[in-house]
Amino acid sequence: MTINERKFIEKALLSELRIDGRHPFDYRQLTIKFGSEEGSSEVQLGQTHIMAFVTSQLVQPYRDRPNEGTLSVFTEFSPMADPSFEPGRPGEYAVELGRIVDRGLRESRAVDTESLCVLAGRLVWAIRVDLHILDNGGNLVDAANIAALAALMTFRRPECTPEGDDGQEVTVHPPEVKEPLPLIIHHLPVAVTFAFFGSGDILVIDPTHYEEAVMRGRMTATINSSGDVCAVQKAGGEGVMQSVIMQCMRVASLKAADITSKIKNAVEAYNTERALKKVKQHSSSDAIEVDEPDIKLKENRNPYVFKEIGESLKYHENRLKEELDRKRSENDGVEIRTFSSQQGASISGENVKSRISGPSNWDPYSKGIAPDFLRRLQASPGSLAVDKEQKNGRGLQKLNEFKTEKPAVEQNAFSSASVEASDVRQQISSKKSLMDAVKPKNRRKR
Amino acid sequence: MEEKPLSSSSSSSLVDQIIVPGDVILDLSSMTNQTLKLGPGLRQDGDAISVMKAGRLRFSKPNKYWVESSEKRYVPCVEDTILGIVVDCKPDNFLVDIKGPMLAFLPVLAFEGGTRRNIPKFEIGTLLYLRVVKANSNMNPELSCTDASGKASEFGPLKEGYMFESTTGLSRMLLSSPTCPVLEALGKKLSFEIAVGLNGRVWVNASAPETVILVANAIMNAETLSWAQQRIMVDKLMKRIQ
Repeated sequence: MTINERKFIEKALLSELRIDGRHPFDYRQLTIKFGSEEGSSEVQLGQTHIMAFVTSQLVQPYRDRPNEGTLSVFTEFSPMADPSFEPGRPGEYAVELGRIVDRGLRESRAVDTESLCVLAGRLVWAIRVDLHILDNGGNLVDAANIAALAALMTFRRPECTPEGDDGQEVTVHPPEVKEPLPLIIHHLPVAVTFAFFGSGDILVIDPTHYEEAVMRGRMTATINSSGDVCAVQKAGGEGVMQSVIMQCMRVASLKAADITSKIKNAVEAYNTERALKKVKQHSSSDAIEVDEPDIKLKENRNPYVFKEIGESLKYHENRLKEELDRKRSENDGVEIRTFSSQQGASISGENVKSRISGPSNWDPYSKGIAPDFLRRLQASPGSLAVDKEQKNGRGLQKLNEFKTEKPAVEQNAFSSASVEASDVRQQISSKKSLMDAVKPKNRRKR
Repeated sequence: MEEKPLSSSSSSSLVDQIIVPGDVILDLSSMTNQTLKLGPGLRQDGDAISVMKAGRLRFSKPNKYWVESSEKRYVPCVEDTILGIVVDCKPDNFLVDIKGPMLAFLPVLAFEGGTRRNIPKFEIGTLLYLRVVKANSNMNPELSCTDASGKASEFGPLKEGYMFESTTGLSRMLLSSPTCPVLEALGKKLSFEIAVGLNGRVWVNASAPETVILVANAIMNAETLSWAQQRIMVDKLMKRIQ
């Protein structure tokens, strides 16, 4: 860094100018990309380039927290990113960076660690976030934080169930057998970094590495979109006034909301793409594909959905037949009714669950809904059973016509199921509106 | 590659084309009594002249060949004018960073009228406009603050202003003649000083900081633009600041 640059950066900041043409409170362009694997993200903030990987492992929990999983953050400064980064032991800055990201995520309990418990006191999931700094263009903290959040939001851990006589053995299901589960993330703590110049009275957001070389002090505020301060880091440097810090917080909460929406949009796009990929690959293997055409008919966005309908129709025929056989074999009318309504409930539950994020998504609320729903069904068992009966009859009659009037039949056959589904969905949304606005389940709202 | 023997301009057909490592640009077996001068990126491989780095092949009459590419690193070459940063002061030499593979030496006497008595004092971090006088492989390059006749002629420390780093390709574009459109168009509307080093460093100075920022960013953006695009970009910029 030359003397000329130092002097110029300070001189320009006096008249509120920054060397890359930004205003003091402008953020650089943020790009979020995702890798082919789940739980990997790549974030570009101007010239800064950071990659994050999330991995999980089954470990024994800490003794003082027997039913909580763990979350740890590791940083890797590639010597390619900056000439000052040496290979080998992490430097002071690498440690500080890891700590800031770690604190923001952990102290604010952004990731639900209790849901990572498999066997209390014996086995929990340990989530590990690896941050790779690929290019240092300044403000690594914010970029690393965003990368970690994006990676955590797309990460899915394999599902596992306790087995054996005493329920002390755990089977981990490979992703082909059971769909992996996403993490529960309550909110997104976004780090926003400020740099102070002069005697702490000149303030800029998102400093570049030139500005970082000149700045007198730095402060990182980790804030979520609802304005809760999760962590603040102000290590050394020039002291700042209380009023300046309050001003920083106000700016940071605005920026945090902005960045949160960017992350969410990117994750949503990724999830939609992922769900579409699923539709393409296995056409009629599981119950989800049954629901996909239904959704797509309403949304009517995808050109290739209709190809899938034919295959899923076959599945339907089989299901209807089975149901009818079952009814014939059983004599007790009440039995049939409850059975079929349960079936309906579970199917519609899956309906709801699989809206966007793919097959058999684990949903903590679906369990709470099922009894509710059953109660409602019990209140009016007759009408529903008749409905079912009609549906089955109609289904059988129309078996041959299925292929000719695909979309119409599709909606017909689904009418009852989708009505149920929408009912359940309404229940969910009314419940959820009280919950935190950041939960991933929200994606299903639309 | 068919070369006519004894032809006065026995040039390769690949001149001004993009070449990659491994390409053979000339076959010496078909040439007689010719002296060739090979620049960076080329080497003799038996009877063939082959390419060692990707770039554009350049040819200068009568017999010079070299490969030109855009790099962030600078390989010193004699008579290049460059921008260096003083990183250390030794009794005999200043150590100067020139973005090269090693630090360059600037002898304390290599100034106009330089004697033992009037050794200049440079702070660490001073920006200098310099000329390369020695560039041998495996040796530190040697610099000078005078032109070949010993005059200062603009060489020396650069005061004020702003320096940014880019690639050697951009520097060459800025120094090309006719003047590249981005500088020409900017110069028509704004007044600024500029010093371009072939090592990919550019220094800009103007009376107002906003002019410096505008010029610096315009130049950095121009790197990947065609000449027509550069003109359009500058026009847009000018409209925005008025």
